[in-house]
Amino acid sequence: MAGLLRVEDIRKSFGPTRVLVGVTFDVGAREVVGLFGPNGSGKTTLANIVSGLVPPDGGRILFDGRDITPLPMDARYRAGVARTFQIPDPYPSLTVVESIRVALLCGRESCRKRFGMKDSSPEPAPTRWEEELESILVRTGLFAQRFWPAAKLSQGCLRRLEFARAISCRPRLVILDEVFSALSAKDESELALLMRSLHRKEGISFLLVSHNPLILEELCDRVVAIEDGCVIWEGTPKDLAKHVPAANHAHDSG
Amino acid sequence: MFPGGRTTGALGAASGILLLLPLLGLDPFLLDVLTVGFLLAVFAGSWDLVGGVAGQISLGHALFFGSATYACAILTSLYRWPFPAAAAVALLFSGAVGAAAGALASRLRGPFVALFTLALGELAHEVALGQAFFSPKEGYSWGGEGGIPVSLPWVEASPWAGYYAALLFLVLSAFAMLRIARSRQGLLWTAIAGSELNAQASGVDVVRHKRRAFLASALFAGAAGVGFAAHVGRATAADFSIELSFQAATCAAIGGRGTVAGPVLAALLLHALFQGAGLPPATRVLLYAAALLATLRFFPRGVAGTLRERARSRKMVS
Repeated sequence: MAGLLRVEDIRKSFGPTRVLVGVTFDVGAREVVGLFGPNGSGKTTLANIVSGLVPPDGGRILFDGRDITPLPMDARYRAGVARTFQIPDPYPSLTVVESIRVALLCGRESCRKRFGMKDSSPEPAPTRWEEELESILVRTGLFAQRFWPAAKLSQGCLRRLEFARAISCRPRLVILDEVFSALSAKDESELALLMRSLHRKEGISFLLVSHNPLILEELCDRVVAIEDGCVIWEGTPKDLAKHVPAANHAHDSG
Repeated sequence: MFPGGRTTGALGAASGILLLLPLLGLDPFLLDVLTVGFLLAVFAGSWDLVGGVAGQISLGHALFFGSATYACAILTSLYRWPFPAAAAVALLFSGAVGAAAGALASRLRGPFVALFTLALGELAHEVALGQAFFSPKEGYSWGGEGGIPVSLPWVEASPWAGYYAALLFLVLSAFAMLRIARSRQGLLWTAIAGSELNAQASGVDVVRHKRRAFLASALFAGAAGVGFAAHVGRATAADFSIELSFQAATCAAIGGRGTVAGPVLAALLLHALFQGAGLPPATRVLLYAAALLATLRFFPRGVAGTLRERARSRKMVS
């Protein structure tokens, strides 16, 4: 399979603590890959390194054949690698529409460059701009709350806003860091539907970081399990519980 | 729908009143107080671009103001430049100082921005206090507490001309700053002020946009400085003072950080009130502090900020 993202021998330590010791895996085009690991296994650090928030100590990140290791998070977003946060940190004073507009303003510019259009090409007509904004609002189910300040949104809506921000750059890969944790069953299933439709209709690849094997089983094509900073197993989600003891425990308790 | 209709209306009404005030026969003292008030209002508005809209609390904002007044003074008095040329270079100079300060401060976050800019401002203040400038032609030295005179093309300007020139300057600058704050650039600054992490994850080059905020803000502060040099005819170390920086920050907090119009009106009103009453400086400082405390009790986000928030909640419900 043509690899969209290649994570190669990533190493990271915080002080004397070695968090990641040579992690290597791929995400294919239009693939949903789950990243499983118990708490403290280095999942979130890995998500931070892949999205560019934290620089690795060693190793490379290749996206679409290009080495993006030196790019910071904002440049990776413009290049088509978006992410969501486990704990959303919205702009408190901006409304939902304004928050998405920020992402569109920066993401749009990069889309033009990415698709080989001239940089000097005129801005898309305002109506098309508004259309895109509206379509994002409708797809993420935020249309009714569009004029709400982000500070007043519920947890479920905040996660939707994370999705909305992530898809505003028309990404090719979205990293979802524990996006389904601490949500009501209804919100969880609606977000899962949203993710599936984005995957199916727009061909976005997902790297789904979670400690919950049930969610990974339901949504992923393939699962990479890490523990103590190493990849310990890789395979189809239904075999996860068989091969990874930590997943079994979660099964029992869940 | 035009979101800022009410703000523009308030500013328009205020400038209309100010346009007619001198005709009622104000004495020259009050005319002078208002003229300085207009310049300080632009200065407070410029603070709000970087400190309110972009959320980078600058506590050394007088640096950009003083850079302009000193550039005007040094160029006209020591180098015998004509005032208009000196004014243009002074504006560019304060822009350059803003770009340099921004390049350093944009790497910092939160309280470190405040501490760093505070230190920069105080550094400039100390230099201005200690530095003597020798004028070979006049045969004596300038500088220190007394400052440097600005050589102006007019001998005795009519207070009316100064009043109206400063009022025009205020109206144009306030309009420009409001436009910037409501532009796409302003939206990105507001996003950075809200959450740098989220902005970065939305593709915003945070450092670059913070640098721009410092540059834009320094240019308006510098323009106010040029106006002040032209009005007062002297650059003194007080132009770099911490009191000036804090006054702008205080007025912004009272008027409503991030609204531009709030800080501009608050600075003008409070200056006119306190200075017009002829209060001594120590009393004025106390009154500014009291005004800040009283405002934050009833309008936690400043007057304009809290009003805007209330209008938004109403819209949310409907």
